[in-house]
Amino acid sequence: MSKDFIVNAENISYRVNGNKLFHNLSFTIEEGEALHVQGSNGSGKSTLIRIILGITKQTKGNILVNTNKEICYLGHKNALKNYLNLEDNIELMELNKQSDLKKYIEILGLKKLLDVNVANLSYGQQKKLALLRLFLNESDLIVLDEPLVGLDRETQEILNNFLVDQLNKNKAVIYTSHISCPIDSKELLLK
Amino acid sequence: MKILKLEYLKLKKKTRSWLGPILVFWLIMIAYPLTVEFLQDKLEIGFFSVLWIAILISMMLATEDIFIEDYNDGTLEQIVIKNSSFQFLISMRIVMYWLMIGIPVSVLSFIFTLGTSEDLVLSLSIIPLSMISSYIFLNLFVLGNALSLNKGSLLGALLTMPLALPVLIVLGKSLISIQLGINFLEFILLLLGCLSIIIIVVPIIVSYIIKAHLE
Repeated sequence: MSKDFIVNAENISYRVNGNKLFHNLSFTIEEGEALHVQGSNGSGKSTLIRIILGITKQTKGNILVNTNKEICYLGHKNALKNYLNLEDNIELMELNKQSDLKKYIEILGLKKLLDVNVANLSYGQQKKLALLRLFLNESDLIVLDEPLVGLDRETQEILNNFLVDQLNKNKAVIYTSHISCPIDSKELLLK
Repeated sequence: MKILKLEYLKLKKKTRSWLGPILVFWLIMIAYPLTVEFLQDKLEIGFFSVLWIAILISMMLATEDIFIEDYNDGTLEQIVIKNSSFQFLISMRIVMYWLMIGIPVSVLSFIFTLGTSEDLVLSLSIIPLSMISSYIFLNLFVLGNALSLNKGSLLGALLTMPLALPVLIVLGKSLISIQLGINFLEFILLLLGCLSIIIIVVPIIVSYIIKAHLE
């Protein structure tokens, strides 16, 4: 049985202030596949992610994202409210009715922090809270922009296992980092 | 309803954002009698001008950080990539700001008018005028804030202030008609007509402006 494509990019280029950030990138991601975008700082990884998400427009080329598919995105910004506690943030993310919520709160060690304001959490703890959005998602495409930043080794392991599990469920993953990817994936190197 | 509930949760916890504009309105209205003689006819002379300007300023302050926080923390990106209607969310946010700030300001307008004029009919007539005008001002300043999203709220307020001037003129005229006992319903209908256009057009324009900012 043929798999549905999730993202199909043909010769996409992006220029900023007249300088080429990347040029003629082509790739396809199907269900159950992962794409690892690797590159140094400023190579355009985040820009490519924003193009895939439809936030930024490429300067050249075509990109097609299967619009029937829901997207779960975790970027550099955690989309958390500093003046709210964890419980309120979970409600804002509309995750409070998810059946696995308690399980992941336990796994990530957030149970004791539920009534603490996000402003009083460390960056790593905030990142763990943002990971709940990912762990409780029902999307077909998972887009992660440098997700390991700020995470301890144990949480990195949980995240990697989760992504492998999602790939087995035929979901697609796009993942950026400046180091090698811990999951089985296609590689796209940005210079 | 779910969006309204979530917007309420956010705004309720941001006490400064909703209480600040109400307190500023209250302070202006309290300060006004101190600048004139405490005789009823003297108080009434400039009272309504001060009232409309106080509503305008409090709505301007209310919208000061309506999008900037979501822009900085990445919430707007999350909203844009979801398939749900961004325009609808903007409309609901304005409604929540109006319910939490516009309505209390309208109630205070009634109380201050009653205290100054001792005229219940006049004071009751102020309620719909202040409710509608506060909603219009909110929409206009939301537009201004979206335009100057990462350049400071004052610039946005200055950009959209000229759009609020015709509303102030209509408010002045409607008050004269109330005081002269002429039917002022036409003015209310005129304001409602403006509002009905604004509440549809502003969220659409604002959503495009915010997407352009994100890009």
